[in-house]
Amino acid sequence: MSRGALLFAFNSSKVDYYAMAEYTAKRINHFLNIPVSIITNKDSIPNTTNYKFDNVITMSADDSNFFRDTVWFNKGRYQAYDLTPYDETLLMDVDYMVNSDRLLKVFEVMSDYACHESTAFMMVPDAAYELLGPNSFPILWATIIGFRKTKKSEHLFQCMKMVQQNYNHYANIYGFVPEIYRNDYSLTIAHRILNGHYPCIDEILPWNLMHIGLKTKVYPNFKDPLNTEFTIVYDNWKRNKIKKEYITIKDIDFHVINKDIFREIIT
Amino acid sequence: MDTQSLLAEAKAKFAHNSAKHYLQEKFSNKLLIAEQGGLWRADPNTINFLNCFDTETLVLLDIYNNPVEVNRTDLLNKLIEIYTKVMHEWHTEWKELETKR
Repeated sequence: MSRGALLFAFNSSKVDYYAMAEYTAKRINHFLNIPVSIITNKDSIPNTTNYKFDNVITMSADDSNFFRDTVWFNKGRYQAYDLTPYDETLLMDVDYMVNSDRLLKVFEVMSDYACHESTAFMMVPDAAYELLGPNSFPILWATIIGFRKTKKSEHLFQCMKMVQQNYNHYANIYGFVPEIYRNDYSLTIAHRILNGHYPCIDEILPWNLMHIGLKTKVYPNFKDPLNTEFTIVYDNWKRNKIKKEYITIKDIDFHVINKDIFREIIT
Repeated sequence: MDTQSLLAEAKAKFAHNSAKHYLQEKFSNKLLIAEQGGLWRADPNTINFLNCFDTETLVLLDIYNNPVEVNRTDLLNKLIEIYTKVMHEWHTEWKELETKR
């Protein structure tokens, strides 16, 4: 039974996703002790690199996702099922900072697939869950998807493909704005369809996905590339003034929503 | 600039509530354990419930609401072990936090 992580990384004009994937892959190797494969395009692969992925799978990038004059190369995630070289896969966003072996628990808890529904924001303890549409249900997060090669997982990814290809139609049904394609939305809808539109919890990871949100800065406490201690500084607005607040965190994974913050951490 | 200088320059204050929340996120996950075909949380409720019986086996709902037949004593011992270890670590980090200003 093979086990590994899979990352998608297509460089845009603004963001070097391949470099982010290399950084994340090294941490996955170290903290989870599993191999990492990458799905990318030839243009993203640098001429020289000091990291060797387990497998480099190339495909052409889908550049049809425009938002605010930028192309977002996040389509095609549904192909993970067919392209993964592993029996058990952790499909991850490249901006997920692995600081512990927490994700190994995904393999323990999932039967077919597993992903996050509940979230927490660092420095914002009372942040609300994001809903699919107004008066709708909470979204699932495609940041981490664990899956086995089973029929149900295959159907999930086939459904995600269907949602991606008919995105405006599903936006109309669920009442969200389809200005940008989001894998979180297609995962949420596919999961609902697969479970008869019933809020099934069997595939939900029983812990929160920790986000680093906006108005937040992250400073590594040490220069070590495998550093797990960070200082989080947050601009807390009170009475029209910014009050800077901070905490120090250690050995906890987090997802960085703002790509610029992630790039600052790794440089 | 190191982080301490940066914090001093920004006049940032330590956020106790956020730190407390972060610790809860960090350690509550460590209380989860997959054992005997179910997923359990090593919390006082589950430990006390297991302790209420004297049978060898017991059927109880795991955190996914699946009924699982377990060896009661084995699961109880495992949960106590996890609970003690994790709560001790949590307490140690909590004490460190309390000293920060």
